[in-house]
Amino acid sequence: MSAKVAVLVFPGTNSEVETWRICRDVGLDAEVVHWSRAACLPQYDAYVLPGGFAYEDRIRAGAIPAHDPMMDYVIEGSQRGKLVLGICNGAQIVLEAGLVPGTGPVRKPTAAFTRNGPVPHFVCKHVYVKLAIAPERCAITAALEPGALIPAWAAHGEGRLAATAEHLREITEGSHIAFVYAHADGTVDERAVPNASALGCAALTNREGNVLAIMPHPERDAWNYNHPDRRDGRDILAPSGGVALFEAFAEALRRA
Amino acid sequence: MPNFRVNELSDDELREHATRAGLALRVDELRRIAQTLGRDPSIVEVHAFDAQWSEHCSYKSSRHLLRRLPTEGPTVMQGPAEDAGILHLGQAHGANWGVVIAHESHNHPSQVVPFEGAATGVGGIVRDVLCMGAEVIAVADPLRFGRVEDAESHQRYVAQGVVDGIAAYGNAIGVPNIAGDAYFDERFDDNCLVNVVALGLLKEQDIIHSAAPAHSEGWDIVLVGKATDTSGFGGAAFSSVTLDEEDEDANKGAVQVPDPFLKNVIMRATYRVCEYLRERGVTAGFKDLGAGGIMGCSAEICSSGGFGAIIDLDDVNTAIQNMPPEVIAVGETQERLCWVLPGDVTPDVLRIYNEEFSLPQIARGACATVIGAVQGEKRYVLRHGGEIVMDVPIDFLTGSIRDELPVRPMSEGKVTDPARRYVVGEHDLRQLFPRVLAHRDVCSREPLYVRYDGAVRGTTVIPRGSACAGVIAPVFGAPLGVALAVAGNPRFSKVDPFLAAQYAVLEAVRKVVSVGARPLGLTDCLNFGNPRNIEHYSELVHAIEGIALAARQLGTPFVSGNVSLYNESKTGNAIPASPIIACVGGMDDVSTVVTAGLKRSGSALFLLGRPQNAAGGAVFAELLEQTGGPVPPIDYERAIDQIAFFRAAADAGFILSARSIGNGGVLAALAEMAFPTLQPGYTPIGVRLEPAHGWSNGAVGDFEAYFGECGGFVFEANAADAQALRAIAPEHLYLMQIGHTASEATFDVGSVQFDLNELYECWHAPLAQVYP
Repeated sequence: MSAKVAVLVFPGTNSEVETWRICRDVGLDAEVVHWSRAACLPQYDAYVLPGGFAYEDRIRAGAIPAHDPMMDYVIEGSQRGKLVLGICNGAQIVLEAGLVPGTGPVRKPTAAFTRNGPVPHFVCKHVYVKLAIAPERCAITAALEPGALIPAWAAHGEGRLAATAEHLREITEGSHIAFVYAHADGTVDERAVPNASALGCAALTNREGNVLAIMPHPERDAWNYNHPDRRDGRDILAPSGGVALFEAFAEALRRA
Repeated sequence: MPNFRVNELSDDELREHATRAGLALRVDELRRIAQTLGRDPSIVEVHAFDAQWSEHCSYKSSRHLLRRLPTEGPTVMQGPAEDAGILHLGQAHGANWGVVIAHESHNHPSQVVPFEGAATGVGGIVRDVLCMGAEVIAVADPLRFGRVEDAESHQRYVAQGVVDGIAAYGNAIGVPNIAGDAYFDERFDDNCLVNVVALGLLKEQDIIHSAAPAHSEGWDIVLVGKATDTSGFGGAAFSSVTLDEEDEDANKGAVQVPDPFLKNVIMRATYRVCEYLRERGVTAGFKDLGAGGIMGCSAEICSSGGFGAIIDLDDVNTAIQNMPPEVIAVGETQERLCWVLPGDVTPDVLRIYNEEFSLPQIARGACATVIGAVQGEKRYVLRHGGEIVMDVPIDFLTGSIRDELPVRPMSEGKVTDPARRYVVGEHDLRQLFPRVLAHRDVCSREPLYVRYDGAVRGTTVIPRGSACAGVIAPVFGAPLGVALAVAGNPRFSKVDPFLAAQYAVLEAVRKVVSVGARPLGLTDCLNFGNPRNIEHYSELVHAIEGIALAARQLGTPFVSGNVSLYNESKTGNAIPASPIIACVGGMDDVSTVVTAGLKRSGSALFLLGRPQNAAGGAVFAELLEQTGGPVPPIDYERAIDQIAFFRAAADAGFILSARSIGNGGVLAALAEMAFPTLQPGYTPIGVRLEPAHGWSNGAVGDFEAYFGECGGFVFEANAADAQALRAIAPEHLYLMQIGHTASEATFDVGSVQFDLNELYECWHAPLAQVYP
C-alpha cells in the first residue's frame, strides 16, 4: 500500500494543487488537508507543506503558521521519524518551527529564510539547485544521484538564509545544506543565487535527515511542457526535471 | 426617509446642492429621477443613481458605440454580456473547455494611491472571472506611466507603487502573471493607466451566469466576503470624473482597501462551493461586487434575470456600527461576492464559507450571510432600521441611461509631412542600435515583472517576458495550451489614433500567433479623456471604429471589455488615445509551441513582413528627433496571409524560434531572441544580418528596414529548410532570408559588429534604475 501523504493548507497557502498533483503522479496517496481538518493529521505517514503566504507572512514569513495547531501534529510526527517536505513558504514554516536545521529547541529557530538581498523584493526566476550533501544524508534525497541538478522556480521575497556566524558554522559542519543554487550546467557561483542566500543555500535538512526545507519550487518545473526548450521526452505531459525530487520522496516512503 | 431636494430648486441651486453632496449626477439626470419617481429621491436613492448612472457602471456614452464591435464567431462560448466573456479552448477529458477573459482598468485609484489602487484592480478582475464559475488561471497587466527618470517624482512613485501593488496581490492569491506591457510617456504624467486582464478556466456545462436564474423568485441573496466598511464610498462616480489635485485627500477615501489574504481563502472556498453546487445539480446566480457595491451588484443580478430585489441593509455584516445606509448600500468595500441561491442549499453554502474555510476567523467581520431575497415585482427595495429607504423600478435604475455626444469627423492623421527615407552610414547605425535597445519602450521589462510570480500553479509553458506572449497549459493531464498577449502603442496614437487602434488589435493577434497559437478572441479596455470634450470623445469613437475594423478583418471577435473615460487632470493634460487590446490564443497541443530564444548557430533568419517607408511613432524616429511621418497603413490581405503562413510553418515544425516585430523593429526583435542564450550555462548564439539594402531591395531607407515598427515576424529556421520555405511562400508575403545565426556572441549588421553582451547591458539596465 502506498504511503498516505497530507498536503497542508494554511490560510494563505497557494500552491497546494500543483504540489498535490505531483505527489499523486509519483504514486503517492496524497490528500489536501485544510486547517479546519487539522485533527485528522496523525493518520498520515508524511507531510508536505506547499508554497504561499500562510497567515499573510505577518511578522515574518512562516512565523505565525509555525504556531498553527496543524504544526503540533507535524512537529510530533517529525520527531517520530515521519518525513516532512517544506517548499518555499512551507520551508519558511519548517524553519520557524525549528525543525530545520534543528540545532535548537522546537519553535526556537536558529536560522531563517528572510528578506532577499541585495534588494529586498520578491523575485521570480527559473533556477537550478544542486545536491550538496551525500544523497543518503537526507532520507528524502537518498534516491538521487550525487550532485543531482534539479530545475525549479524561485518565487519568494524571503528566501535568503540568515543565521548568526555560530549557527552558520553549525549548519556547515553538520552538513545541513542539502541544495545550493547552480547554473544550468551545474556550475556553482554567486550569480546563480537569486536572493543573496548565505552559503548559496537553497535547501536545508535536519540532523536526522527526515525533514527537508527547500525554497525554490521543483513542482513548477516538473513536466515537459514547463520547459519546451529542454524537452526530455516526446510526451509533453510526461514528468521531467523537478519531478526527480518527488520521486526520491516517494522512494524514501517506500523504503520506510 | 430623508429626501434629497430636487423639485423645488432652480437648475443653479440644484447643481450646487449636488456638488456639495459630492454627487457626479448632472441636473438633467436628477430631474429625470425625480420625475420618474414622482417625488424627490431619498438620500440613499440619489447615491444609488449616482453610482449606477456613472459612466463606470452604465457605459452611458459608450455602450451604443461598442455595438459596432464584432462579437460572434465559432470560437465564442459567451460574448460580452456579463462580467467576463468565454472562448472555446478545445476538448479534453470528455468536456468542452472554455477560457474566461475579463479586462478592466483601475486608473484613477492607482494615480492617487498606487499600491492599493493597482492591487484592488487585480482583486476586482479576478472576481469577474471567479463569478463565472471558473478557476482563475492567469493575469496580465498593461501599464502606462509618465516620465519616471526623476527619482523624486510622483511619476516614479506611481510606477513603483503600481508594480508592487500588482505583485503583492497577484502573488498572494496564487495566480501567475504571464503577460503585460509598459509604456512611458509624458502624457501619462497626471494619469497613469493600470489595466488588468484575468483568465479563467471552466467546462462549458459549468458556467454560472451573473443573473438570477429562471423561477428564482423568493431565493436568497447571499453576500460573501469582507465586512462592509466606509472605504470606496463614491468609487464609481470618482472614476467617472476628472481628477482634481486639490481633492486628493477626498479622492483617497474613494479608493478601496485590498485584502489578498482574505481573497486567497474566498477563492478556494468559492471553488469548493462551485463543486458542491455541481454535485447537487443546482443552477445559481453569481456576481462580484464592484462599482456601486451591494446595490449595484444585487440590482444588476436580479434585473438581468427579469426580477426585482429586496435587501435588508441591517443584515449586512459591517465593520463599524451605525454606518449610514447609503454607505452600506453603495460603498465599494473589496473582496465581496453575491450569490442567488435556492433556500435549501443556502445553509450548506454558508457552512462552507463560514466553517470549512472559517472566513470569520480569517478577517474581522468577514462571512457569508443572507441579506435579502429575489422578488417577482420588478422593483429594487432597500430596508434599513425597519424603514424602506429606497424603492425604485429596477430597470430604471440599471438600464435606462444613455448619452449620445457630438463627434467630429476623422482627420487624415495629425502629422501630414511627407515620409522621409533614413539612409544612413555605419556610424549612425553604431550609435543608434544601442540607443534603440535602451529606449524606455524597448528596454527589458524584467526588473518589473521579476517581482510577479509567473509560475505558480505549475502550468507555465512560456513565462512572461521570454516571448511575445505568455503560454500556460491549464488543463491538468491534457495538452491544451492558452496564450495571452496585450498591445496598444501610445506613440502611434499620438500620430494617428484610428490606425493606432487597428495596430493594437493586429499586434496583439500577431504576438499570440508568434508563439504558435491560434487567436481565439479579444478584449478591449478603452482608456480615454473626458467624453464631454469633443476632441477626446471623437478619439474614442474613431478608436472603436479602428478596433472593430481590424477585428473584423482578422476574423477575431471581442468577448469582453471595459471603458475608462475622464483620464485627464484639471490642468487639461489628457492621455493619448489608449485602446488597449488583449488577445487569447489556443493550442491543441502545447508541444507545438514556438519559443523566442535562438536555438543553434548556422540557422537561417527570416523576415516575414514588408518594411515600409514611413516611421510615424517609431522609436528610432523619436530618438532622431524626427516626426517620422505618418503611421504606415495596414495591408490586411497581406497581414492575414502572413499570419496564416506563419501558423502553417509553425504547425509543420519549421520554426525554431520567433518573435513578432514591435517596438524597435527587426533589430530589437532579433536581439531579444539572442539575449536568452547569454545566460550562464548556455551557449551564446549570435546574429549575422545582411545589410538592409540587400533585403529591402532599396525600396525603403535602411533605418525603416532595421527599426520600422509596422510589424510582421522574424523567425529562425533550419538552414536546410530555408530553400523549401522560400519556395512555398507566395511572393506577396515578403518572406525574406535576412541572415543567419552564428556561434560567436556578436550581432553583425553587414560589416558593423556589436558585442552581444554590451547590447544586452544597454537593453537591461534602464528599467533596473526604476525597479532596483
